[in-house]
Amino acid sequence: MEPITRRSFITLSLRLAAMMGLGSSAVPAMADALERIVRGRAPALWLQGQCCSGCSVSLLDSEPLGADQLLTRQIALAFHQTLSGATGHQAVETVDRAIAAGGFILVVEGSVPASMPRACFFGEENFGSQLLRAARAAKAVVAVGTCATSGGIPAAEGNPTGATSVPAFLTRSGVATPCISIPGCPAHPDWIVGTLVHVLQFGLPQLDKAGRPAAFFGKLVHDQCPRFADYERENFAKNFGDDGCLFHLGCAGPLTRADCNLRQWNGGTNTCIRAGAPCIGCAWEGFAAKRDFPFYLKNDHTRPAEGDRT
Amino acid sequence: MGPSPPLGVGHAGRVLSPTVRPFAMKETITVSPVTRIEGHLGVTIETDGGRVASARVVGEMFRGFERILRGRDPLDAQQVTQRICGVCPVEHGIASVLAQDAAYGIAPPPNGRIARNLAQAANFIASHITHFYLLSGLDFVDVAQVTTYTGNDSALIALRDWAKSELATNTVNAGGPFLPQFPAQLIRDPELNLGILRHYLEALEVRRDAHKLGALFLGKLPHAAALIPGGITEKITAIQIAAARALLARLATFVEQVYVPDVVAVATAFPAYFSLGRSCGNFLAYDAFPQSDGGSPLLPAGALRDGRLERVDIAAITEDVRYSWYSSPSGLRPTAGETEPAPDKPDAYSWLKAPRYAGSPMEVGTLARLLVAYRDGRTPAVKSAIDSLLKTTGRTPADLDSVLGRHAARAVESKLLVERCAAWLEELRPDRPSCVDFKIPATASGVGLTEAARGALGHWIEIREHRIANYQCVVPTTWNCSPRDDNGRPGPLEHSLVGTPVADPAQPIEAARVIRSFDPCIACAVH
Repeated sequence: MEPITRRSFITLSLRLAAMMGLGSSAVPAMADALERIVRGRAPALWLQGQCCSGCSVSLLDSEPLGADQLLTRQIALAFHQTLSGATGHQAVETVDRAIAAGGFILVVEGSVPASMPRACFFGEENFGSQLLRAARAAKAVVAVGTCATSGGIPAAEGNPTGATSVPAFLTRSGVATPCISIPGCPAHPDWIVGTLVHVLQFGLPQLDKAGRPAAFFGKLVHDQCPRFADYERENFAKNFGDDGCLFHLGCAGPLTRADCNLRQWNGGTNTCIRAGAPCIGCAWEGFAAKRDFPFYLKNDHTRPAEGDRT
Repeated sequence: MGPSPPLGVGHAGRVLSPTVRPFAMKETITVSPVTRIEGHLGVTIETDGGRVASARVVGEMFRGFERILRGRDPLDAQQVTQRICGVCPVEHGIASVLAQDAAYGIAPPPNGRIARNLAQAANFIASHITHFYLLSGLDFVDVAQVTTYTGNDSALIALRDWAKSELATNTVNAGGPFLPQFPAQLIRDPELNLGILRHYLEALEVRRDAHKLGALFLGKLPHAAALIPGGITEKITAIQIAAARALLARLATFVEQVYVPDVVAVATAFPAYFSLGRSCGNFLAYDAFPQSDGGSPLLPAGALRDGRLERVDIAAITEDVRYSWYSSPSGLRPTAGETEPAPDKPDAYSWLKAPRYAGSPMEVGTLARLLVAYRDGRTPAVKSAIDSLLKTTGRTPADLDSVLGRHAARAVESKLLVERCAAWLEELRPDRPSCVDFKIPATASGVGLTEAARGALGHWIEIREHRIANYQCVVPTTWNCSPRDDNGRPGPLEHSLVGTPVADPAQPIEAARVIRSFDPCIACAVH
């Protein structure tokens, strides 16, 4: 998809302004209008499966592109269960109208209870059935958060609902709509916004083998760690609250691909590792999956044998 | 908005017991999904003569957290349980570390205890502001009215131009996600309406600042990284305290100058809602926000039943499952709780269990804890804040037990918390420890009781052979949105809906306002 640049709108606006006898002060507003007309704000539909709404809450923490800008300037969000004015049958009709019209980007938060459809309902329809209807009509699917991308905690060992990731469920059901994965528990707002805006304005971003945007998930947490020098010097923290590399406390930075150490959370306020907390691998595809793979190596009796973690 | 359905036909087209007299007309109205709450909720209402005669509240989503936690490392719990809910993660994390603190026999140093309070309070404030403006606001505010705006506020101009261009297009769902609304009975005064709409936009920024305040101490939000048994992993520094002061000042301004006045204005515009949504009469709260002086917590525990305040006896808590999709035994205490799903169970209608206190349904939440604290009397700030609210609105304490009482309680509590946070910040000491070390015993158990924004939250952990043998959560919305218990008694929301007038079955806005006044969180409630 050929990107349309801001410059091309300004060039066009300059010509139009000259033709219409308007001064140069009219150009930015005209460029805005043209941009909107040409691009339209591509419609998006946000559905929730077995989720905690944490990725939606994370999206509200977006900055500098705040939620108001996002909802009114960047994305035409047809429906979102936590934000929509529509209630009850109105909500069901709103979603159904969007699906009937097609051509939207489908954003999915949460996993699918594949072996227990009763475990997630929207109106009178189980979530799996709603998801398949929507995904078939969508231009692209964006799975947001680790529950959607790899099953996450709902799919962890011992789970009773057969929770399944969105891409696995769609593939199993023969839906071929392209699917982008944005892991993270929650997903960082920049990862969601950056991906959506890229898809809407420039087409599919460069993806890795797991369907993740390479721009956000190309490097290991460990490689961009503020405590990397401690690791190099073998200066390891022994207890929580200690200085030093957190590897011996169970840090999953060497397994997890995500740019959170550079990007930081909550508008640059902090990061897990800066706050002394080992990375628990929330964007890693194996996040929380196994009982015998604890988040922390503090408990001598549940830690795996040396070497098992990598 | 379509035309009203013919009498005797519910909105979903179901034909319902037609009778001769229109005012004796019985109807079934299904509100599903209830949007603008957390998660998957449906409510089925039977009306008789235009009022709710009975209601069934249906939790529509289940994941099985308590099952997933079994066999895991106990330290996984405060991270796993935060993922029960992205709106209330801090509170679940705190309940879990309190349960583990008890199980390991440790207590955090002052920095750890204060930082936990600050992050918990920050999440309360974020949650309350989100609830009033983003979740409940659209039950009162007429969004489309912004198209007539003629003032010079840049944010409203941007919203007006957006709304106009949306409504001028023929695209499906123009104006989403804000439109469509139930158009009936919204605020009529344009100045008030536009004012609250403007504050909706501001609330988006302020709730983000509240999350930053939490993230300063806990690494990130939602799903805080730095909570740990024995305290927090983050170190306290002078610059962090200074940054927290700046964020807190913004929160305080918004809460005091905008949020509290807006709640009072909505209360003045919709006075009928001081008598709708009356509770089951029982309220439960746990201790929350331990204070540095070792005395009483900011918000004390109590069980208020039939107007009498009792000490909380956690052995009186049981969970019924007769009408819940579980086959495990009914009436178990959380220490022996079981969660065996049975999605095809006859007569069951919800994924929520039905918690009861000495057999009684109990309302939990901000209103419950403020009523308990008001009666308890050990926190004078609560008494003066409530008395001041009653004076401003010209109401009596009995009026607080209502839709508007719940909204007002959240605003009052937000004000109380920004004031307390300012004092707590000054008690932090840079370079002193914020956590203590601990050992995880082979066998131990612990209970963590605290308050979430939405009410009384309890976690029960049992450790055997160094692993989690059982983990049970009894969560605020489980109390409030519970189905009927084994004796057929409705849950608090089911009870509160009874008597609510529904003028137009196609737009059950009155019922929606009662439901949302509880700020339901279904991911929490079912987990």
